Parts: sequence; C-alpha cells; structure tokens
Amino acid sequence: MNQSSLQSFLRRNPYLFTLLLLVVAIFFNFQFQDNLFEANVVNRNMRVLLPTMLLTVGQAIVIIGGGIDLSVGTMVSMINAILVTRILPDSTSSEIALGFFLACGTGILAGMFNGLCVAYLRLQPVVTTYATSFVFSGIALAILPRPAGQIPRPLTDFYRNPQLGIPTAVYIIILLLIFWVLLRSTRYGQFLFATGSKANAAYTTGVPVVRIRFSTYVWSGLFAAFAAIALTLLSGSGDPRLGDDMTLPTIVAVVLGGTRLSGGQGGIAGPLMGVAILTVIGNIISFANIDSWYQDLVNALIIIIALAGPGIVRLIRRLIGR
Amino acid sequence: MDVSLSAQHIVKRYGGVVALADGNLNVASGEVVALLGANGSGKSTLSKIITGVVSPNEGSLLIDGRPTTLSSPQIAKKLGITAVYQELSLIPDMTVSENIWLTHEPLRGKSLIKNREVRARTQELLNLFSGTFKSLAPDIPVKMLPPDERQIVEILKALSTQPRLIILDEATASLDTQQVNRLFDLVADWKSRGMAIVFVSHRMEEIFRVADRATVLRSGRSVGDIPMSDATRESLVELMIEGASTPRNIAIDSVKSDAPVRLSVEKLTTSVLKNIAFELRDGELLGLGGLHGQGQSDLLLTLFGDIPHTGKIILSQKPVNFTHPRQAMDNQVAFVPGDRATEGLLLIRSILENLQLPSWANFGTPLNINRARAESQNTAQSLNVVMASLDAPVSSLSGGNAQKIVIGKWMSRNPKLLLLNDPTKGVDVGAKGEFYNLLAQLQQQGTAILFYSSDDDELLGLCNRVLVLHDGEITAELSGGDLTHANLVSASMGTQQENNV
Repeated sequence: MNQSSLQSFLRRNPYLFTLLLLVVAIFFNFQFQDNLFEANVVNRNMRVLLPTMLLTVGQAIVIIGGGIDLSVGTMVSMINAILVTRILPDSTSSEIALGFFLACGTGILAGMFNGLCVAYLRLQPVVTTYATSFVFSGIALAILPRPAGQIPRPLTDFYRNPQLGIPTAVYIIILLLIFWVLLRSTRYGQFLFATGSKANAAYTTGVPVVRIRFSTYVWSGLFAAFAAIALTLLSGSGDPRLGDDMTLPTIVAVVLGGTRLSGGQGGIAGPLMGVAILTVIGNIISFANIDSWYQDLVNALIIIIALAGPGIVRLIRRLIGR
Repeated sequence: MDVSLSAQHIVKRYGGVVALADGNLNVASGEVVALLGANGSGKSTLSKIITGVVSPNEGSLLIDGRPTTLSSPQIAKKLGITAVYQELSLIPDMTVSENIWLTHEPLRGKSLIKNREVRARTQELLNLFSGTFKSLAPDIPVKMLPPDERQIVEILKALSTQPRLIILDEATASLDTQQVNRLFDLVADWKSRGMAIVFVSHRMEEIFRVADRATVLRSGRSVGDIPMSDATRESLVELMIEGASTPRNIAIDSVKSDAPVRLSVEKLTTSVLKNIAFELRDGELLGLGGLHGQGQSDLLLTLFGDIPHTGKIILSQKPVNFTHPRQAMDNQVAFVPGDRATEGLLLIRSILENLQLPSWANFGTPLNINRARAESQNTAQSLNVVMASLDAPVSSLSGGNAQKIVIGKWMSRNPKLLLLNDPTKGVDVGAKGEFYNLLAQLQQQGTAILFYSSDDDELLGLCNRVLVLHDGEITAELSGGDLTHANLVSASMGTQQENNV
C-alpha cells in the first residue's frame, strides 16, 4: 500500500520528478560554473532556451493528442529563411510586422499540411512528419541557399536584453503557462486529452476526433513559427539548417516532463522544465570539457530509457513469478 | 419530454453478412422495452443503429413521428438518445467528472468550463448510487476504478446528457446485486418522469423485473413484440429459437466411454472463470456454449497457457501448469483463435509460410524448403484448400479456406488436444461443411477437441456434449436427450431450469 500512496502522490504532482531532476542538474552545473546565478549568465541561458521551449509546447500538444511531429525542426529552418529574406537591416516597422505575420502564416500552413495527412488521410504520424520535414528543409534551402541575412539591431537587442531587469524569455514563459491553463480549462482541452487517451471511446462519446488531431498539428506549426522568430532574433541572421537539430530535443523534453509518448497525459510545465534540464546538461558537458557529441548521446539515451521503461518493468514482473 | 422512437424494417449488412434483416423496435415515453435474442440475432446492431453509431442500409427510423437519419452519435445525442455501452466508452486517463461531462461540460461564456459546477453536479449524480460503491469520487481517474464502478460512471455519463431515450446494453453485466437494485429503482423513477428505456440483458430474471414489453429478435428479424404480463420464460425462449434451422447433424460416432481421459480440469479459477471442472476424452468433441463473453475464450486461453489460473489441469495423466503458449504447444495442444485476421494468420505472407510457421524447427538449418513445400502441399490437399499456389498470400483466400490454413498449420504437429475459439464466425456455409468434415476426421483419429461456438446450431449438430457457461461458471452440462435448442438457450440466459447434470 505504501507504494500505491507514493504512486498517487506522483500522479497528483507529475512534475515533481522533473523538478527534482532540474534541481540536481542545476546543482552539478553550478559545480562547474560558479557564475551560473549571475544576472547576465541567467539572461544568456534564458534567451538560448526559449526557442526550444516554444517549439516544445507545440510538440507537447501533438503528443498529448496521440501523435508526434518530427518536422518541427525544419519548420523552424524554413521560417527562419523566410524571416531573414523579408526583414532587412533597413526594413520599416510595417515590413517587419508583415515578416512576422508571414512567419506565423507559414507555420500554420505547414502544420495544416501535416494535419491533413495525419488526421484526414490517416497516414502514420512518424513517417508522415519525417517525410514532410524534408519538404520544409527543401523549401528552406530554396529560399536561402546559404547562411545570410541580418536582422535590425533594435529588434535583436529587444530579445537579447532583459526588460525591466527580467529576461524577456521569462515574460514569454509566463504567457505560455497562462495559455496552457486557459486551454486546459476549455472544452477543447478536454477533447485533446480524450483523443490522445482513447480515440475510439472519445469518438463514441461524440468528440470530433479527426478535427482535434488536425488541430494539434496546426498548433505545432504555429509554435514552430514562434520558435523561429525567437531563434532568428537570437542569432540575428539566417541559416537554412538553423533549426534542423531541434526536433529530437523537443521530444526528449516532453518525455523528461513526464508526458507519455502514447498520448492522453501530461502538460507543458513539465516539458518546459525538460528543456531547461537539457540546456543545463549541455552546459555541464561543455564546462566539464566533454566532447559535445555526448549531448546527442544523452538525448538519445533519455528517449530509449523512457520508451523501454514500461517494457522493462513488465519483463521484471514476468520474471518475478507472475 | 414526450418521446417516441420507431425503427421499421431496418437492414444492416457488413460485407456479405447480414447482421439485421428486418429489425423493428417501438418504444415510447414511460416505457421499458426489453430487447431479447440469442447470439448473433442482431441486438447490438439494432441498438447501435438507434444511437447513430452504425448507419443502416435500409429501413426507416421515426423519432417523434418524423423520419430521421442519425449519421453520428452526436446527432442522436442532440435528439436526446443515448446509450450505456457494454464495451466501455470511458477515457481511462480522465477523471470521473471529466468523463461524465465530456462533450457537454457546463460552460462559462463560450468555452471556459465551470469546474466547480462540474464537480458539484458529478457529486449529485454519484449520490444516486451512494452506498453501493467504495472508491468513486469526482476527481479519481477512471483507470483506477474496478469494473463495476466504471459501469456506474458509464450509466451516469449517459444520464448526464438528460436523455429522453436511454439504451441499457448489458449495463448490469458487471454490477453486483445491490447496484442492480439501485439501477432498477432509478429506471422506475426515469419511467415515471417520461423517459423511454430500452433494456438489453441476458439475465431473464432482470427482464421480468423491469420490462413492460419485450421485443424478440431471431436471426436478424423481429419475431415478436409481447407485453411482459403475457410472457413466460418458456414462451420467450420459444420465440427466440422457434423455427430456427434444424441441426446440421454430421454422423459422428459417440465416444467410447473407455477412451482415455485426455484432459481433466478441477476447480479452475481465473479473474473471469469460477470453479470450472470437466473431463475430455480422446476422440470427443466437447462443445462450449452460452452467450458471448461468458468466459469461453478465457477458458481456452487458460488451457493454452496464456492466462494465469488457480486450480488443477491434468493433461495426458500429468498435472500441468503452462505459463506460456510455447509449453502448451510442446505438449501437443493446439489453439485456433477466433479472430483469424489478427491472431491466426500472417495475412500478407504466403500459404506455405503460414502452414509451416509453428514447425520450421523441423526443417533444419538451412531450411529444407523442398521438404516443407511437399509437406505443405499434402496438408493443403488433405484440407481441400482452394488456392492459386502455395506461394500466394493468405489474404488472397476466401474466409473458409483461410480458416483451413489456421487449422492446417497445427495438423502436421499432430495435436492431441485441439482448442477451437469460435472458428466458423464469418465463414460461408459451404466452407463450414468442409470444416465440419475436417473436425469429424480429426475426431476419428482420436484428437480431443474443445470447441467454443457462438452458433448454437453448430453445437447441437456436432457435439456429443455441451458445457454452457454463464458469468464464468458452467451452469449446465447437456448431452443426449437433454441437448436441445430450448435447453441450450435457456441455460445461456441463466434461467434455473433443472435440466443440468
């Protein structure tokens, strides 16, 4: 019974484990980097992790709805290419606004394309979004064949520097959490979890399952646009491969955040902490003078352990006399 | 609030199979109508059509006197028609209150859910069943609940839509007596408030307690609509079986009573089965009867080592306790699953590969393909499989031929005990005939066969002896003169006729 009360406690507080992991990771990071809590270091870390956080919110919504989106990274590349070809150092503010508007529109269209394939044509999400990731990558290269472009200084400064002494990213994270609380308390939120948890039961109950699945990919596209805007303001320039490596970290972050990959469970606070954990692990790796490819190894291992976990538990149960 | 529903001459076909040939049902406010029928008579199809889950091929549906098309469950729900499903429609990860109010949550403004109201109204609903459950509460995830409490949530979920017509499809199956009593009190209350209720149950006793009228289905046709005051158990059973096709008797020599006992089971108990005991001799074809899902498949799977159990299983005079199907196979037990497509066959692979799947170990390394081919050819020939070649994929075969492959793959292993889980479901008549001959042949060779079928005629025509299961228990053992359709059906319905051994 002791075990089950622990289980129910963890169920009521699914982010607890993630939070613990984050604290431990920060502690180790601090061992290697004693200026970790200085204002400018905090600001630098926050502005670096915000783009992945934005991208992870979209990924989390798709995964909660029972899917997965492997195209988010190249979506960021594609939208980055659009942004730097639209926004030039001498652009007027209306041209800049148009650029952002185009970025969001492109993200939504790309997400609609994924959603159309997965929800309405019933294609397998992993294969579909892996394939469309090459479509988006191709478009990125067609728009911007090689790294180029420059974003106006005032814009990048706004993103990179703290506002009223607080990193810009913090405001946006607060907005994301408010967004999630609102979404969770709508009927749409209920439908999202119902679809991801048990689609046929949801259908029998009258949940518009296909429309909900479609919408998750649209959210993912929109958040990819937000992520691309943040990343473009951070880097100040364009690169047709800028976001390509961001897909895996978003999935790892979702898993670290206690969201089950098969859907119907979780939230975004956990995945946001997951992104922070990954960033901190990255810091540890670079400050401990470990080769940087270990970051990918760590990411991959986390996913495999998360996927294998339930299977391993079942195997052990089977071995310990049924 | 007044409501009337009239389903007239409903026809529903699934591919070539006619599930419903002429379904009729009338129900109006303040009335409880029982929908009765033997296995495969079309009860569930008819109730799914009324709730918009399945759309009919022909026939008309009049709601409040107007012809209506129900193209989805949402539309039916808008018209005030809802069902308590037997296969649960709950979302395991969501809480009790989230499940109950899903799709009709009380809203503030356009989209925000009023959480406090949801919880309060859930509590009100739960109070209807207060005292009959242990753990139910608004904020508990449904996956933490035992089956009976899930069923209560399912009932409350249907009730929360304030339906005008509610269908209770085997809603009492997992409830205990106290909960059933509470439900019947509620049904009486709904009735007095003008709700219409359709009650589908396999418990005769319950039907007599709550129903005002009974509509009886037989082979997809409505064959009777009688007030309960005029009905007796016998007359209802009679209606359910009357004029059904005569048993297709295949002359099978009765078992020699001195044949060795192949399988003996004592006090076999699992989460579903209760105290099962029987003996099966070599060369005997023992039938398992009863309505769907009364534990027949569980019994077969338990014997095949797939479900943990307590109790004794003695196979070939040796006590055994299989924990994996492999062990059962090594002891010459074979299992033919009910769902060919998902459990019995590799559809896109060739006939050869399917036939040899359990036996590849006999062909050495590297595999002696020519010998495998020759043996497969023999098996296919002895089974009369109609096929293009051994290399054609199994998906190119008709249902009956595909079923022969499922059995054929065990033939070369010479099973001593063959477990059949409703093997002729969805198989055409001609192929069934060949299949029966195959069973007779195996029986002649001394194979002990345990045969579950949802087709009562099949059991009557083929078996020497039939065990009838009800709620995981053997409620009757019918053989000789007792093995009649009437006895089989009434034992399936759990009625207490003293015809069992």
